[in-house]
Order: sequence, then C-alpha cells, then structure tokens
Amino acid sequence: MSSFEQLKHRFFDECSDLLQQLENGLTDIRESGASDDAVNAVFRAVHSIKGGAGIFGFDALVRFAHVFETVLDEIRSHRMDITPDNIDTLLTAGDVLSDLVAMSRAGETPTSEYGHECRTALEALMGDGEGEGGGAAGEDFADIEFTPVKFGDDEEADGSQTYEISFRPRPELLKKANEPLFILRELRALGELELTADVSRLPALAEIEFDHPYLAWSGKLKTQATQEKVAGVFDFVVDDCELSIVNVTPAGDTLPSDNFTPLPDNELPMVAAPEATIAAAPMPAAETVMASKPVPAAEAKAPPQKVAATTTRVVLEKIDRVVNMVGELVIAQAMLGQIVQDLPETVSGRLLQTLEEVVHHTRELKDSVMSMRAQPVGAVFQRMPRLVGELATKTSKKVRLEMAGENTEVDRSIVEQLADPLTHIIRNSVDHGIETPDVRAAAGKHEEGTVRLAAEHRGGRIVIQIKDDGAGINPDRVLKKARERGLVGPDATLTDDEITNLVFMPGFSTAEAVSDISGRGVGMDVVKRNIQDIGGRISLKSERGKGMTIQLALPLTLAVMDGMVIRVGKETYVVPMSAMVECLRPARSDIHDLVGTQGMLRLRGELLPIVNLGNLLEVSSTEGDNGGVVIITEAGDDIRFGLRVDELCGHQQVVIKSIEESYGSIPGISAATILGNGRVAFILDTEKLYELAAVQAPAAMNNARLENTAAAAKS
Amino acid sequence: MPIASTLKVLIVDDQNSVRQMTRITLEELGIKQIHEAEDGKVAFATATVQPIDLIISDFNMPEMDGLMLLRAVRGHAALRKLPFILLTGRGDRELLVKAAQAGVNNYLVKPFTTPILREKIEQVLGKLT
Repeated sequence: MSSFEQLKHRFFDECSDLLQQLENGLTDIRESGASDDAVNAVFRAVHSIKGGAGIFGFDALVRFAHVFETVLDEIRSHRMDITPDNIDTLLTAGDVLSDLVAMSRAGETPTSEYGHECRTALEALMGDGEGEGGGAAGEDFADIEFTPVKFGDDEEADGSQTYEISFRPRPELLKKANEPLFILRELRALGELELTADVSRLPALAEIEFDHPYLAWSGKLKTQATQEKVAGVFDFVVDDCELSIVNVTPAGDTLPSDNFTPLPDNELPMVAAPEATIAAAPMPAAETVMASKPVPAAEAKAPPQKVAATTTRVVLEKIDRVVNMVGELVIAQAMLGQIVQDLPETVSGRLLQTLEEVVHHTRELKDSVMSMRAQPVGAVFQRMPRLVGELATKTSKKVRLEMAGENTEVDRSIVEQLADPLTHIIRNSVDHGIETPDVRAAAGKHEEGTVRLAAEHRGGRIVIQIKDDGAGINPDRVLKKARERGLVGPDATLTDDEITNLVFMPGFSTAEAVSDISGRGVGMDVVKRNIQDIGGRISLKSERGKGMTIQLALPLTLAVMDGMVIRVGKETYVVPMSAMVECLRPARSDIHDLVGTQGMLRLRGELLPIVNLGNLLEVSSTEGDNGGVVIITEAGDDIRFGLRVDELCGHQQVVIKSIEESYGSIPGISAATILGNGRVAFILDTEKLYELAAVQAPAAMNNARLENTAAAAKS
Repeated sequence: MPIASTLKVLIVDDQNSVRQMTRITLEELGIKQIHEAEDGKVAFATATVQPIDLIISDFNMPEMDGLMLLRAVRGHAALRKLPFILLTGRGDRELLVKAAQAGVNNYLVKPFTTPILREKIEQVLGKLT
C-alpha cells in the first residue's frame, strides 16, 4: 500500500471519529440547546472533514461540507439561532455528510444530485446564495500585508554532499558472487539516492545469460557521508566494474533547480515498477527503477473498487492473544522438530523438509505480528519537550532539546516501559547535568545547554542515547559519597569509569542537595533495574565539564527471541543470540592459566577471561574444565568474555516466559523458555553472569580489562 | 538562503492525516527535519525547546488554535521572530486580517500542492536550495 493510500485510510479513520463527534454535538444541541462548546465541536468536526477531503481530492464531499460549515459558522458567531426547524436540517446534513464520507471511502463518486435537497435547505437557512465555490483556494489576499522575514545567515550547512555515481558491473563481478542489488541497497542507506538503470544492453530474453550483468546504474546520492565512505561501498567490486563517483555538490546558490521535483497541480507521479520496466516490450533507454523514498502513486486513476481495503482498529488484547499463540506455535514446532529428529531417517527426510517450511512461515508470522505491535518511540519522545521546558523554567536554566529517530519502531510494551526511565534520565540531565547560564558562560560554553535524545536500530536492538553537554559527573564527589555510604572500601582504587558507574549502585544518589525535581530517593539504580527488566542494557559515559552520555540498548520485542540452546552437564540453557559474538573450541595452548582465574583465552591478540558456566551455576560439567565449547559473549559495552559450556545444541526461536513474578529476580537468569522436548530451560543474562564471575574472581576480570586496554593501545 | 535539508519545520495540526500529508509535501521539497505537534500547546512547548526554523500551523484546533499559538509565539522573547505560516481550511478574510495583525508571515489554504507550498515557504524564507 502506498503511503498516500495509507494516509487516506487514516483520514477516513479520523472521519469516523469526527462524524461521531458531529452526531454527539448535534444531539447535544437538540436536547439541551446550542451551547458554545457544542456548536464549536460540531463546527470543528465538519471543518476538519472538509480540510482533509480537500487534501485528498474528494470534491463532492468538500462542496457539501463547505455549505454545512458556513451555516455552522453563522450559528457559531451568533448570526443565526438554532430553531427546532433548522436543527432538523442540520441533523439531516450530518447524515448526508456521513453518507458522502462512506461513498468517498468506498471509492464511489457521488452524483451531483446527491444531497442536493439538503444542500438547498442549508443554503436557504443563510438566505443569500453564499456557499458556492467550495474551498475558495483561488481567492487572493494580496492586499493583506504579512510580516516579512529576513532569513539570517546563521543557518549552518549540514555538510550534506551530492555525488554523481555511475556503476557498470563487469561479468567478473557476478562470478565472484557479488550482488549489485546489495551494493545499491548499501548505497541507499547512506542518504537520498536517485538512481536510473540503464537497460540498453539487455538482450532478448532467449539470449540472456544468467550470470552476465546487463544492467548499469547512474544517478545522484545526497549524503552526509564522505567520498571515501561512498567509495567504500564498492570496496569489494572496485576492480570488477566501471565506477565513477564525482562530488557535484553545488557551491552557494548555484544549485541546479532539478534537485527538486515540483509536481503539476493535483497530480502525483507514478513510480515505475522495476519488473514492469524489464518486461515492457518497447524498451525505453532508461527508466527510474529505484528511489530513496516511495513516491505516492496516483490515486485518482485506480479503479474505485480497489480503494475499499481499510485499516481496522483492533483491541490490543486481541493482538496480544495472537502474540501468545505465535509463542505457543513456536514451542509446538520445536517439539515437532524434536520428534522428527528421533524418527528413522527414511521417514524423517520429507518430514524435515516440510517442517523447515513451517519454521520459515512461523518466523514470518511472528515478524508480522510483531510489526503490528510495533510503535515508534516518538510516542514517548513527544512528552519530553514539555518536560524539558518546564524543568528549565523551574531551574532557571536555558536548555534545548534535540530529538532524532522518533520514527524508530519498537514493540509497544517496550515503548510503554521506556517512559519512566527516560523521564528520569532527562530530568537528571536538566537538573544536575546542565549548568545555570552564568556557570556555563564562565566555563566558556554556550549559555544554552543541549540535551539530545536519539533512537536508532543497531544490530537487532534499539539503541537510545541521551546526551547532554552539561557538567558531567564529578568522580571525586561520587567516590566520596560512595565511601560515606560504605559502597566502596576506604582503600579501593577505582578508575574514573568505574567510579562513574557507581551511580548505578542501589542506594546511591548524587544530588548533593535534594531538589524538588530529581532527589526523590529514586536513583539511577532503579532506572537500571527498569531497563534490565525489559532485557535492556544501560551504559554511561561522562566527561567532566563536557557532559554525559547515557545509552540504552533494548530488545525489539519481549515475546520471542533468537537463542542458542546450550548444555552444561545435564542442564540445558539458552544464550541470547544478540549477546553472542562467536563460538570456538580453543586449543589448549591458547588458554593461559592465571592465578585466581579460570583461564584466559588468547584470541587474535586479545586476552579474554573465561567463565566456566558449570562452575558458576554449580552444575557439574561432563567435558571437564578445559573441554567443551567457548562462546565469546558480549556483556555490555566493550566487555567480552568467553563462556565455557559443554555443548551447543542448536539455534532456535524461543518464547520468553517471565519467571520474575513467581520466583523473583535470579542473578544470571533473565527468563525461562520451553524447549522442543517440553522441558523448561533458563535464558541466561550474560551481563549478570559476567558480574557474578567478577565477584568470584575479581582479579581475572580486572586483568582482562587492563590487558585489553593495553592491547588496544598497541594496535 | 535556507537549505532545504537543514530546515527544521514544525507542523501543527490536530488531524494526523493532514500532518502526514503536509509532511510528505515538505519532504518533496527536500525538507527532512520535520517535527509534528497535534495542538497549539504541544507546538509551543516544542518550539521553546527544539530549534525550529518555521512553523506551519493549522488554524482550527481544539484548546489552543493557530491564532493563539501565533500570538504566544510572537509574545515569547526567543521565538518572537520565528517564521509562521498559517494553514486555513478556507479563505477567511477576517481571520487572515487578524493573523496578519498578529504577525503571521504567510498563509496557505488547504488543500495545497507542492509548488504552492514551495512558493509560500520561499516567500517567507527566500529561495530554497
């Protein structure tokens, strides 16, 4: 469905609400007289329907709504009274409007006679012939003087560059298993891409060799990326194609005006479907096959019957039920898989094939359902400008809020649970982070502080960053406080980073004075807990005097995830795929024994601590301390370690079943799931595992960090 | 001379479909940084904390209408000069006179086309590049 069509459906959904308001208002007026509120509500409803109808080109609807609106405006401005006579006309007009909306929705064009009688009655109410002429768009108000604006030169350029790209693959490119489509996709990810495919080399169908690249592309890319980065997209194929990338960014105002595509009035361009381009018999030399954003397709020419598909509002619980059913389906399918595997191969062969298809469909089903539940994080972001504004006033600070990525989608349950942590973090930033204007000026900063809130998808997770350019965290103060509270021993030596992260410890509040805004005894520890509860990670970086960045990495959904089923001894666990980097069977020589550790793994010059899952969870391993498989796991930012398990049993989708409500929070375990054999397995929380291991063998973990810093510095 | 891709525009309309349509039209002009608000109050709060270069606001909205928003913006020390285009559902002369007196920079009658939107924006801000 084109975005234009989607918008039309949205408009009709709004119309349903507006018509409801209209009816309620009119009923109100009939029963208890014309209160200003009721008349206004009715006027607004008709006005909004007219406005939208105009935009989407439903002329008959506009014409009728216009007359209706004019009458209501007369009533609204007390130039006309409501009488039992005309209220009936208004009610009829409401019905006619509703019919017209229904017709427009169904794609029918109402005849001009439709509602004529009612329209005449409405016009009669006004006495004179006003009401003709519809939207009055052509009216000129040239004599009204509008305030002129002088646009200052303070507008900063965004560094956006335009490159002219021409890309002509040679046969070698395909033979080396490179795919032009992927390259073009990657290019599109960099910015606005407008490409034209050159199909002139395309031979007749019978002569086409499947591994010969007949197509070439040329066009423009508008991006903030550097030329090196654009060229980098072609890194693997640069020798196997004819490529040219030229920066054609215009300097100053000599920009060619063809950067824009002004549209003729009321006409929207058609996008040529790529398939159609190739199939078309008289082949045009070039055809636009790819645009960086979909252009709304022309609507008016489509046969009216096709317009009927609409959006539906569904009660959330129903979708939740589907999500649960998909979860059960995933489990049932895993069980089926288990059974098939135990069958003799003669029987299982074909079954396996079909089962694979079922797995595929289940995955798609899951994705579709999840996309139904997805919501842009903008829903939460939207509340923040107001919060920041109010806080800034209250604290007499100047704060600007920048937001990016509001359209990033994530499961609604996550969106809901984001509100509290985000509010808290932003509150902290404005209250404690950003300094007062005079302090900022004294430090040589702009008087106005900036808080930036950005969301993006990264590696199967959504990452939300809250960054301010305030004072950052004062490590001395944090350390002092931590010592006072007994959170750190008097002679512990900690790095600045470690100190900053003390703010996440329970019972820690950095605010020296408990303020009206932040100091409510709820600290960052609760924020961390909240984020961890939804399977997320939080990390904090602070630079004293320069500001602070808090990053939240959250799963996209709470219901189903990709997991690796592993075995230790007789126990089976699941490691989230998102936490896994790689798996290997290290040679004995790669393992270095270090006192107080379970061994350090040397991996491509990096020393990683190994954690024996069996030892940690007190399960006796079958493979011994040096056997089995090591999973390189990520536990938060820049921290990696090896998790030693006995065996990898396979990758599968697992349904997340919360155990917290029944059993409370268990260190190292985030949730449970049901496996194909019907048994329950715990899903491991790798970050917590790392912390647990660090408590048992702090030396190893610290060493790892030091070693790695040193290694990183060297490389 | 404003650069379309860096221009930050705030669309204010209580109708989601109209906001989206306006967004698409702005995007056709190469404008990328588009914020939305569903009524005058949210718009005002947004404008006070977000850098905005241009407000395109509907007139007819519940609670705080476009004219009230315009007056609030013109009365705010930092936003006083913020370019403001009023969207109206019909060419209501009386309203436009009031808006002009309150310091509106231009108006736009719904429905509008991409060229008209461009023309109005350019009348206010100068040629878009």
